[in-house]
Amino acid sequence: MNTYLTQMWAIIWKDLILEIRSRERIAAMGAFAVLAGVLFNFSIDTTTTRPQDVAAGLIWMTLVFGGLLGVGRTFHLESQDGALQGVLMSPAPKDAVFLAKTAANFALLYAVSLLVLGVFGLFFGVGPGQNLGWVVLVLGVGSLGFVALGTLFAAVSTGTSMGETLLPVLVFPLLVPMVIYGAGATTWLMNGRPFVEVEGNVRMLGAFALAAVAAGAVLFRYVVED
Amino acid sequence: MKNSTIRAVALSLAALAIMAVRGVAQESAAMPQASALAEQNLRPYWHVFAAYALVIVLIGGWAVSIARRLRAIEDRLAD
Amino acid sequence: MSTAGMRRGGTALVVLGLLGLIALYWMAFFWVSTEVNQGVVQRIFYVHVPAAWTSFLAIGFAALASGMYLWLRDDRLDRAALCAIEGGLVFATLVLTTGPLWGKIAWGTYWTWEPRLTLTLLLWFIFVGYFMVRNSTEDPEKGKRFAAVVAIVGAMDIPFIHLSVIWFRSLHPEPVVAKPDGPTLPGDMLATLLFGVLVFSLLFFGLFLFRYAVEGLRAEADLRARSVA
Repeated sequence: MNTYLTQMWAIIWKDLILEIRSRERIAAMGAFAVLAGVLFNFSIDTTTTRPQDVAAGLIWMTLVFGGLLGVGRTFHLESQDGALQGVLMSPAPKDAVFLAKTAANFALLYAVSLLVLGVFGLFFGVGPGQNLGWVVLVLGVGSLGFVALGTLFAAVSTGTSMGETLLPVLVFPLLVPMVIYGAGATTWLMNGRPFVEVEGNVRMLGAFALAAVAAGAVLFRYVVED
Repeated sequence: MKNSTIRAVALSLAALAIMAVRGVAQESAAMPQASALAEQNLRPYWHVFAAYALVIVLIGGWAVSIARRLRAIEDRLAD
Repeated sequence: MSTAGMRRGGTALVVLGLLGLIALYWMAFFWVSTEVNQGVVQRIFYVHVPAAWTSFLAIGFAALASGMYLWLRDDRLDRAALCAIEGGLVFATLVLTTGPLWGKIAWGTYWTWEPRLTLTLLLWFIFVGYFMVRNSTEDPEKGKRFAAVVAIVGAMDIPFIHLSVIWFRSLHPEPVVAKPDGPTLPGDMLATLLFGVLVFSLLFFGLFLFRYAVEGLRAEADLRARSVA
């Protein structure tokens, strides 16, 4: 068990170091999040639509599209120079590779989702108020479900000739529960409703995330085998 | 197989057409009023007939496409 | 089962299914009583619901076959999954076309985010994704593995999608709520519906066997072409 965690940590650390040094994906996702906020500002007439009514939905859509941008390239860099073979041939079991990749992606997407929350607070003057902690929790659980499915299907789409363009077609239908429960809970929380009212939603979101992580850990080995 | 499939599809379509005519006849006999009103009341019938025709078209279409692929493969194997 | 045997079995099932389809049409048009609230349009029910049942049967069957394929690596299991998905796509398309025809009369609009209709739409996209993955890999073995993963994850996600779209619906009630099937279905309607489910399942399995036989012959032809070359 201990070696398993060590192996996982080695891959997570490698990915995070790579990201901190190249800043490739985090820069793209962060810029996307801010610019999406700018575009939403111009696409919504705030004299007829109250920002707090639509903010939660827009935050989740930014999260989904920005997440695809980053998660879709999980295996891009490594598959280009054949380094993925090296990672897969290492003594770490395939599910440890998957969990590590998911964890690294999670750290990335979670940072971006908090940035999105801040951007919307700054641009639209809407925020979760005293529910800040709960909204941060909901975004975290949602991000986990997203990266688990996203990482598994990023491995699939990297192996096809269509590449990343295939990813939304595969992932969007599967993400519907996450968007419904996540955006629903966030809307209620941002409108000042107590957490108990959305507790069921967050539990379903958690179950979805756990099922996605488990399915990915089991199925990943069949995607990357040769 | 292909011919029998097509024959069955044609028969079902003919039966459907007869039913459609009977349904229209019954409805228009019961409703000898303004044509606009009659049209309004007939609309559900057309939707039902369209739905039942779609069943035949889609399932029949799948059957025909399978039969054609079977023919193509058999030709390939015969070469 | 041999290819010829499968074709014989497929023929028998398809002929039975077609006879059943004629009987179902007769029942649905002339025998069953008209539903009181919705009138004649409710008769779409007797093909709409069996088609939905069949498409969910197809994804379940395909996911099972895909899981077994990943475990045993027998090409026959992969072919079975492919054929089931193809049939599922046909029947899901049927659900998505007959549903709006019914909805236009019953609800006054072609499309509502009615939970089961939404679920079928997403299922349809999962079926389409299966074919896109399969057809966009250069290495056929890889395509089979990827497609199997899509089928399994898709089938696993269906309970979640189902629960979430029901919850979503309860949050946004429709102005006109017409319950497509009340909890107490009169006897003749239930009989027609169950007969419809039987007929559609027969047609699905009959055509599935045929499709499977074609796929088997294709594998044989490919093998022969490779041994010649």
